[in-house]
Amino acid sequence: MTGRVIVITSGKGGVGKTTTSANIGTALAKAGNKVVLIDTDIGLRNLDLLLGLENRIVYTIVDVVEERCKLKQALVKDKKNPNLALLAAAQTRDKSAVTQDQLKEICEELKKKYDFILLDCPAGIEQGFQNAVAGATEAIVVTTPEMSAVRDADRIIGLLEAKEEIESYKLLLNRVRPNLIKENDMMSVEDVVEILSCKLIGIIPEDTGIITSTNKGEPIVNVEKSLAGQAYRNVAQRIMGEDVPFLELDKQENPIIAKIKDIFAKLKGKV
Amino acid sequence: MGNSVLEEKGFIIDLSNTVTSEQLVSELGSILELPEIKNKAVCLKLGNIDLKQSQLLSIKALIESMESTIQSVVTSSNVTKLSAESLNLETSEFTAPAKIIKEEPKAEVTETQEQIKTDFLEENQLQPNTVIENEVTGQLEEISEIIPMTESSFQNLAKKEGLIDEASMKYVPLDTQDVIEDEIEEKSDSTDKMPTLYMTQTLRSGQTLNYNGNVIIIGDAHPGSEIIANGDITVWGVLGGIVHAGANGNTNAKIRALKFNAIQIRIAGLYARRNDTINVPFVQKTSEFTPEEARIDNKQIIIYKTIRRD
Repeated sequence: MTGRVIVITSGKGGVGKTTTSANIGTALAKAGNKVVLIDTDIGLRNLDLLLGLENRIVYTIVDVVEERCKLKQALVKDKKNPNLALLAAAQTRDKSAVTQDQLKEICEELKKKYDFILLDCPAGIEQGFQNAVAGATEAIVVTTPEMSAVRDADRIIGLLEAKEEIESYKLLLNRVRPNLIKENDMMSVEDVVEILSCKLIGIIPEDTGIITSTNKGEPIVNVEKSLAGQAYRNVAQRIMGEDVPFLELDKQENPIIAKIKDIFAKLKGKV
Repeated sequence: MGNSVLEEKGFIIDLSNTVTSEQLVSELGSILELPEIKNKAVCLKLGNIDLKQSQLLSIKALIESMESTIQSVVTSSNVTKLSAESLNLETSEFTAPAKIIKEEPKAEVTETQEQIKTDFLEENQLQPNTVIENEVTGQLEEISEIIPMTESSFQNLAKKEGLIDEASMKYVPLDTQDVIEDEIEEKSDSTDKMPTLYMTQTLRSGQTLNYNGNVIIIGDAHPGSEIIANGDITVWGVLGGIVHAGANGNTNAKIRALKFNAIQIRIAGLYARRNDTINVPFVQKTSEFTPEEARIDNKQIIIYKTIRRD
């Protein structure tokens, strides 16, 4: 078996790389794939928190690299899904604790046993980014519909294109707010795709549920009713090669509320 | 040692094995510290001790200060009975049982309650509800009260020592069977003579402290920090990170903190993780601090909490 190694990156911080990694990983595992999530953000680890696995970590990626334990020992099994494992980053070290070759080696070893290896990349374009990208053959670039995030994504895509190992990269647009787009206050999905000229793999709506899920350590894909959860599940299906249409976000408004708004708008016009 | 049995409606405080009044007061004091005693109708079992009206009155006041009331007094002493009657307390005679059989303490309880009960009855040719004397505690109880032993021994122990444990069961053992291959050699050294590192600083995320001896921190240990010591670890503040006491295998090492929020605690070769069901608030109020101590008991990491006296 050869697994696919996908890096989740963005350049800019705070756009949702870790949230995306946790949710796509969980969704892929739920669909029956064997998945490893690797947190490469050494020194500022968060992925374990989002998955609620913080209290189960004994060894980290740095322990593996420094041969204090075997790779198998450092893989933390998910609470609910036995198909999902996490290789946590060390909190007490920095990015220089792991080299590109070492990460490549880890990925090569994991490829033999797992269907998907997802690398959660740190923000920035320095060593942390270089390490994370080194082992990967595919990339998901996360961005939000903001100018600064789009600029950084553009820079990242340029760097990814220069890497021979990266065979394909796709764009994931996070924290989209349809009502803002409607009012022309936010870049539309089409705008971002046009600026970056990159294929889309998903559009995730802004969802306050994400905050609760992050704090609880429970990925939002496990919440059936959540729209963001649905969007992430769709991304996972697209990664698995299925053709899933994008969610139509503007239609999500409750039709009754829309009607009331409509009536109010008309009344306003009369007065 | 006095015993207390939590009933559905009320609380039975059994002090029938106390002989002197000092003993009685200290026993009563430790029982009254249990939080579940509040707002209860109390039945006081008093054996043959003689209590004067003033003594009984002070006990009554003590129980009433816990917002509970004495419902009845069970005694075999005429003096106590008269005192109780003068205080308008319901009394009943404490009658010695006709048949006294000594029970051998059982080392291990593996069978089901029902089985044990029937076996026991057959063995001693007893009828249910016969009163027997339990050699271990010296108490007189009905057979149905002695036999059930469903709680694990450490919970019993904690209860008897006046420590609440149900409330501090916030840590569960972490299964490290597949994770840790070679276990460290266990030893039990006294930590008293070890060198001690004294630090007046808060440990932040990512900071580690490694020391061959005891560690005392005056400040918090934030989540993401790590303290590894061969001796004891004491945090005068909120403990939020990972702590490993007795890291060289010393099972005698202990961890203490004003508030235990650690995501993982390790003592010697034992690991415990914070229970997933525990919700740690974003900000810990100092008014909620109750000093806690983690140590190894019965090859298990157990958190002991002292009871607040306010």
